[in-house]
Amino acid sequence: MTTLQCLLGLLDRRVPAERRAWLDSARAEIGRGIEDERFCVLFSLASRFAPRAPLAPDAAERARAAQALAGWNPERWSILDAFRAVLVLSRSDLSTPSAARAIEELFRYADMGELCAAYKLLALVPQAERFVWRAGEGARSSMKAVYESACCDTPFPARYFDDIAWRQALIKALFVEAPLWRVWNVDARLDEELARMALDLADERRSAGRPVNPETWMCLGTHGGARAQSSIERELVHGPARGRAGAALALARAGRRDKLLSASAVESDPFVKQVMGSALDGAHDSVAFHALDQSTSGVC
Amino acid sequence: MRFFDPHIHMISRTTDDYEAMSKAGIRAVIEPAFWIGQPRTTVGSFVDYFSQILGWERFRASQFGIAHYSAIGMNSKEANNEPLARDVIALLERFVLKEGVVAVGEIGYDEISAAEERAYIAQLRLAVKHDMVVMVHSPHRDKKRGILRSMEVASECGQPMSKLVIDHNNEETVKDVLDAGAWAAFTIYPHTKMGSERMVEIVKKYGPERIIVDSSADWGLSDPLSVPKTAALMLERGVTREWVERVTWHNALEAYAQSGQIDVAALEGSLAIDQRAVFGENSVLRGQAPRVDLDELAK
Repeated sequence: MTTLQCLLGLLDRRVPAERRAWLDSARAEIGRGIEDERFCVLFSLASRFAPRAPLAPDAAERARAAQALAGWNPERWSILDAFRAVLVLSRSDLSTPSAARAIEELFRYADMGELCAAYKLLALVPQAERFVWRAGEGARSSMKAVYESACCDTPFPARYFDDIAWRQALIKALFVEAPLWRVWNVDARLDEELARMALDLADERRSAGRPVNPETWMCLGTHGGARAQSSIERELVHGPARGRAGAALALARAGRRDKLLSASAVESDPFVKQVMGSALDGAHDSVAFHALDQSTSGVC
Repeated sequence: MRFFDPHIHMISRTTDDYEAMSKAGIRAVIEPAFWIGQPRTTVGSFVDYFSQILGWERFRASQFGIAHYSAIGMNSKEANNEPLARDVIALLERFVLKEGVVAVGEIGYDEISAAEERAYIAQLRLAVKHDMVVMVHSPHRDKKRGILRSMEVASECGQPMSKLVIDHNNEETVKDVLDAGAWAAFTIYPHTKMGSERMVEIVKKYGPERIIVDSSADWGLSDPLSVPKTAALMLERGVTREWVERVTWHNALEAYAQSGQIDVAALEGSLAIDQRAVFGENSVLRGQAPRVDLDELAK
């Protein structure tokens, strides 16, 4: 199943016939080949025809999406995002420079909603590496919604960013407080340099008397040596609950099961203890940091 | 009370202004495209300007619980640079159909020149084509003639008067605008245009029908709190609360909601501010504690 078929399937169950008719007619027009300006206008007009609702795919639908494209998760897409992705993927010239130019035009004239949709769909376009500079622009955005569209729930950064852009994108997530665990395949691209950046950031925050974002500890993996271990241990003693939970995951990721067992023995907070238990049972990949997400865990 | 300031150039204002506006009860604004105090020299400057209004500025406003709509157009002053104006007008269709664009504007006359009229007509045609509201800037010099001409030309182009807002009115122009069936907006400036006291008298004389109060605050001496301050003075001088609400909230909403780009139900409901949800510390918040809700202050 292609990503386009996957999206059309999702829309089949969610869009009333008259709105779907607009989408189908716009698709047909795009498929025949159109001017860039008209392409941009249709991309804008989608907001007047797409139902205003989240796409809200169920677990089976999300699994199908991940099968169509590893790392793609439309969990937080809107129906309008899906309309816009379908419009782009309906071009018959997607692999050619003319499509790349037209997609670049979408970005150039985009409002915020369009910008988010365009970043979300970028990984679905064939030869997506053509858009690596553009995706880097999204990763530099201070508008959190734009950052997340470019970097979260998409395979784009892990697959196409160079090392500098990749590390900057991960650290940027900590700054804009985007969910780093939603960045796909973090664990495949950890290195010493990223660990150093994360440890510097932790020191900077502590010097300023401010808490360390608990997802900072995701950036270490097996790297960082003695400096990493001492920074983690300091968080285990002095950090707030989420910080201790993040540090516990970092211990497990560094293979320090002994230290994690002894930390768990003295931990009194039930939430932290539970994260520690799961980590001891093997749940300590980057997605395991989901448990620390304030929006879902409710823990401060 | 809650207020709608349907004409304000927020890209020229600070976060202190946003904070004060939010505290004073301003819940929605319209940012019309205008000139930036000096003439631009390339079409790219307009592309970035329109994008800024629709992007970063809307985002900034949202941090203070203020819904930010916009009007897009080629202003009358810069319309006098005809080669540039032609290029800008040619790309307007890429912007006027964006979400939250409630009008073509602010357009109209400055010196009432032939070049301005050509730009005005081209943009009226665009508005008619997409059934849009038009926000008209009226000139400082020769205002009355400018307003009469802008209504006449709009009418000739097929623009319905119910979708025409004439801005920067005064005592001398209001009757003609109301008689024509258009909306009459008033800009309250500290020293020029209208003052709050004069505005009170106009509402007392003409009633609240199709009258709109705005600040047009920009990079010059102007006041982003003009609308709530004028409302306070109206109440103090005996204008009924119902009338005050009409000229500082309902009328603007009714005029511009004709665009289909305002979610009226959401706007009428409570707007939650959540700076934590959307802020990066490198953007506007720079380290201070995020504010979660200003609703109480705005009451």
